Amino acid sequence: MGNKLIVSNILHRPIRTVVSALAVAIEVAMVMLFVGLTHGMLDETAHRVEGVGADILVQPPGTSFLFALSQAPMPIKIGDRLKDLPHVLAVAPVLFNVISIQGLSVMYGIDMPSFVRVSGGFAYHAGGAFVNPYDLLVDDLYAKANHVKVGQTIQLLNHEFYLRGIVEHGKGARLFIPLQTAEDLLQVQDKASIFFVKCTEPSYTDDVSDAMHQLLPKYQVHPMKEYMSMMTSNNMPGLEACITVIVAIAVGIGFLVIFLAMYTTVTERTREIGILKSLGASKGYIIALILREADLLSAVGIIGGYGVAAVARKVILGVFPTLSVELTMEWAAYAALLALAGSTLGAFYPALRAARLDPVDALAYE
Amino acid sequence: MEPIIATRDLKKVYRLGKVEVRALRGVDCIVHEGELVAVVGPSGCGKSTLLHILGGLTCPTSGQVLVDGNDFTKMSDADRTRFRRHKLGFVFQRFNLLPTLTARNNIAIAQHIQGNGFNPHRFQAVVEMLGIQDKLDHRPYALSGGEQQRVAIARAVICDPKLLLADEPTGNLDTENSQAVLSMIRGLNKTFGQTILMITHNPEVAAVADRIIRMQDGRIISD
Repeated sequence: MGNKLIVSNILHRPIRTVVSALAVAIEVAMVMLFVGLTHGMLDETAHRVEGVGADILVQPPGTSFLFALSQAPMPIKIGDRLKDLPHVLAVAPVLFNVISIQGLSVMYGIDMPSFVRVSGGFAYHAGGAFVNPYDLLVDDLYAKANHVKVGQTIQLLNHEFYLRGIVEHGKGARLFIPLQTAEDLLQVQDKASIFFVKCTEPSYTDDVSDAMHQLLPKYQVHPMKEYMSMMTSNNMPGLEACITVIVAIAVGIGFLVIFLAMYTTVTERTREIGILKSLGASKGYIIALILREADLLSAVGIIGGYGVAAVARKVILGVFPTLSVELTMEWAAYAALLALAGSTLGAFYPALRAARLDPVDALAYE
Repeated sequence: MEPIIATRDLKKVYRLGKVEVRALRGVDCIVHEGELVAVVGPSGCGKSTLLHILGGLTCPTSGQVLVDGNDFTKMSDADRTRFRRHKLGFVFQRFNLLPTLTARNNIAIAQHIQGNGFNPHRFQAVVEMLGIQDKLDHRPYALSGGEQQRVAIARAVICDPKLLLADEPTGNLDTENSQAVLSMIRGLNKTFGQTILMITHNPEVAAVADRIIRMQDGRIISD
């Protein structure tokens, strides 16, 4: 019977119901999309680097594991010393740069033969490998996002590049140019930002990594597993705080909307609360009634929020194919719990106010 | 036999801003089980305040009020609420049905609040007695005043209360519906022995009662 009263109250005020549920839906979608976007981009970046196929990454001293934040190059000759170590199959020097063409994209300057040895080569969707110094490869997602085709010329680093091929995504960067050309344009001769190292067998990774530490004690040597474990939001400076702030804002919106909705509801229904009290409804019964109504509104909003998040994800990926949005069950559950907690808290004061109403005054309320 | 209502020197003083309103100025009254009592008097004589105190909706300022042997002045708000749930039924002048619920659910919610669950036999007997079988799926706005008051009576008696308190039950009804409601109230008293205390300012309504208590200026002037 309590449920019938709650449902009938919710249906009796459709505008209030829709607005409240919509606010909770936006709250849930906001949390899921923001977290999904940050985690998705991190995971996508990590998996792209992993997709190069290297077992070990070597970076210059004092650089960040976020490549985009660390472009300090190191002598390319180091690669020859690394190659001479036991169980090293191939070493690919890469000079990278972050370019801004319709958003930020990572570009690798690669030595094609060594990069192919480490990565196993590119899978071409169209075109083929570099022929000339100013040839460019882009991945399929970049091509889709920027509507480019093989044979086009693209302005990059103040030079015209010929788009020679479109490759399957997942090999470290979205754009690739020859290493020598990158060195010329970035005015760094015989330098590399990172070495991708492939071992003869993955089981030698730790041994090779130890040997590299001994050989280059000041350099950063990260086995791929270690690199992947570092690519989490916890390790991103300020990112966790940013997520917390966004989540707090979203929960705050839900809290305030539910508070306002339930506060006006209690005022509007003062007389009905008086009737329930005259029938012997306890304070607990009335509090539970208001909280359950708020939670039902919240539940409708949560389901709506899942729908909004799924649709928004499709739209985002359609408009920006290079982005990645991870909608996880874990964060769907967190968002639901946060929304429920927010709405319960938001409804608590109005519920308490309803429970404390004087029955005689409430029954006389016009 | 112990009376179902016993008040002694019952007083109630309200404060309206800085003004003190002495609504009850020492009411002594006894009502026994099975009685149909009408409390009459002009507006402002304190009859509604008396009903609210007897219903446990508000506390007296001083004096004693025993309902079914329970001293309301010594009971907490929660205890009086519990007592109201199990022992009292209310009928109001403005019907006071929950507008979003059907007549059926308006009646059933009293059983739900009481916590003993839905009793279909009792429910059927009450709706048949009040002649509202074909109105059960209507919401209050789709019912006439007389029908709404019958639903309200059904809600008040569905849990078989010890005492039914009626506050101007015909105040918002036309003559025909007033007669119908009064005959139902009378029927409840005569057929089921329901103790009823009804307040009214209308002497014709009071005439259906076995006993009439007259109030004026917060006191009982005749019984």
